Amino acid sequence: MELTVNSVSCTVQSPPLTSLLTVLREELDITSPKAGCESGGCGACTVLVDGQPRRSCLTALCTLDGSEVTTVEGLGTPEDLSRVQQAFIHHYAAQCGFCTDGLIVAATAYVGGGGSADTGDIGEALAGHYCRCTGYVKILEAVAAVARGDTFDTASTASSANNTYVTIAGAES
Amino acid sequence: MKVVGARLPRYDGVGHVTGRTTYVDDVRVPGMLHAAALRSPHHNARITRLDIGAAAAMAGVHAVVTHADVPLLVYGHLSGAGIPGDEPLLAKDHVRYRGQPIALVAADTVDIARAACAAIEVDYEELPALFDVRLGFDGDAPVINDTFGNWYDQYEGNLDVRQIRKGDIDAAMDAADLIVSGVYRTQSVEQVPLETQVCVAIPEPDGRLTIHTCTQAMYFSLGVVCSHLQLPMSQVKMVGGTVGGGFGGKVDTASDTLTALAARKSGQPVKWRWTREEEMLASGNRGPWHMEIIDAVTSDGWILGRKMLTIHDAGAYGRFSVYGLTKHSFHHTGAYSIPNLHFDGYVVFTNKIPTTAMRGYGVTGLSTAIEVHAERVARELGMDPYEFRLKNANRVNDTSPNRIAYEDPSTVEVLQSLAAATGVELGDGLRAMTREQRSGDMLPDHLVAQIGSGGGH
Repeated sequence: MELTVNSVSCTVQSPPLTSLLTVLREELDITSPKAGCESGGCGACTVLVDGQPRRSCLTALCTLDGSEVTTVEGLGTPEDLSRVQQAFIHHYAAQCGFCTDGLIVAATAYVGGGGSADTGDIGEALAGHYCRCTGYVKILEAVAAVARGDTFDTASTASSANNTYVTIAGAES
Repeated sequence: MKVVGARLPRYDGVGHVTGRTTYVDDVRVPGMLHAAALRSPHHNARITRLDIGAAAAMAGVHAVVTHADVPLLVYGHLSGAGIPGDEPLLAKDHVRYRGQPIALVAADTVDIARAACAAIEVDYEELPALFDVRLGFDGDAPVINDTFGNWYDQYEGNLDVRQIRKGDIDAAMDAADLIVSGVYRTQSVEQVPLETQVCVAIPEPDGRLTIHTCTQAMYFSLGVVCSHLQLPMSQVKMVGGTVGGGFGGKVDTASDTLTALAARKSGQPVKWRWTREEEMLASGNRGPWHMEIIDAVTSDGWILGRKMLTIHDAGAYGRFSVYGLTKHSFHHTGAYSIPNLHFDGYVVFTNKIPTTAMRGYGVTGLSTAIEVHAERVARELGMDPYEFRLKNANRVNDTSPNRIAYEDPSTVEVLQSLAAATGVELGDGLRAMTREQRSGDMLPDHLVAQIGSGGGH
């Protein structure tokens, strides 16, 4: 079976019904797709197959001959981050980070497809992804900022549009 | 001051967005085996036969760990704090909840490990199970916990109940214009971290163990592992700190000890990653709480006293439940000052998954009960619920149920902010209220004696 993974041609030996998640993690040692539920429910294993977000845990290897697979490792490196990656840092959209790789992959497809900065549209595009830490607000802000064309300073964290700071009487002393 | 007030980036941000962060499941070690657990299919049953012969003989199986392999089988998560242990690491002759581990198999692949689990022969004698904490006190209830019976019975002073007594509850009830009672029951909740319980244990050439752990409590887990394995702490190196979500559910040492045993028995590195189904059905969850509240109140909206009964559903074993109940008891007045208290709390055992921490252990369900009750009391009095709450709100030097003087209680400001954020108009008096120590109209006679000292700024 021939695959192109993150622009590298690979010959893959796993049996034909092996999930793409297992092929990536166990045969190719590409560990960014996470085994969150292994039943298509959580989105943590999402990768791009020929540019489209797919649940790698539900995708059998035999359906992929000749396909191009992209994981978050293929989107940018620590030295050369993609705009979505920069936005997730700047907007503090990653907490524990376990869902982040799948979300960045899906957000990349959304923005790349001309997705708008409307948080309703973004929410619909990312609806198949669970995040148990953030409450989603900062993820939506990060993706909206990319769609708007913002630039990002990864050496600082943005203030959230949804934060309201309340002065507490007597707490200043 | 380069840090305070600065909007710093998170130190692990680059790793998190580029797939470089190494979670436990991402740890790769040559020759690593994979583990699977045999778990109880029954809620309550005696084990009359356990035969691992066929499983151990299967090709690709390197170790089958049972109770006989555990140097110290019974150790409690609070044993270090003097609370006796009650839970065997692996079931020996009795399973007390569905999902309780009986054996762990380490094999070349997960599929082989699971097949070997299925080949372990176990005979069970099923027993009646108990699921309702209220029935645990009945004389004919099945006995759930070998160490404590049906409820924890070893509080200070040989009491079988966590008690708080403050002021004079009978006088408060006599003086009340109105007594409002309510029963509140919260359900169990699974924390659902996206990363399931997972561990990689590696036997090192010098005899030590390296354990890659997803624990939320590293040194605590080190103590639990070393106690069960009867090893000095110098023989175990824990590598952790990168957790794919925990929310309290990774405070229990759920996978480290068994993986370590499998690694030692097989002599090879072992990974044990729970399936999502195991995480949902067998990992410690937030336990249910049964709470009965009786408040003595005056017609002008003061809470004179509270009588409360709490029954905490611990599941089959104690783990941290005694701690959770104690914390619950300290918080049972919530954000309000009530001078006369009579609290009784029980940790009761049922044939369910042992329960554990989740975001405000012992307090979150309690807060729900207290706030719903406050709303009901205000309604009974025909009083604005904000006014009722603000009058009774904790102030500097008011004292908690366990007699700690509050230094910086924020109840007043939180209520004012809540009103502002939801478009509720507070009267001038309520808007001007602060956290400062009670005086004047806000210091009625019944609150004088409870004032402590040491708070303030």
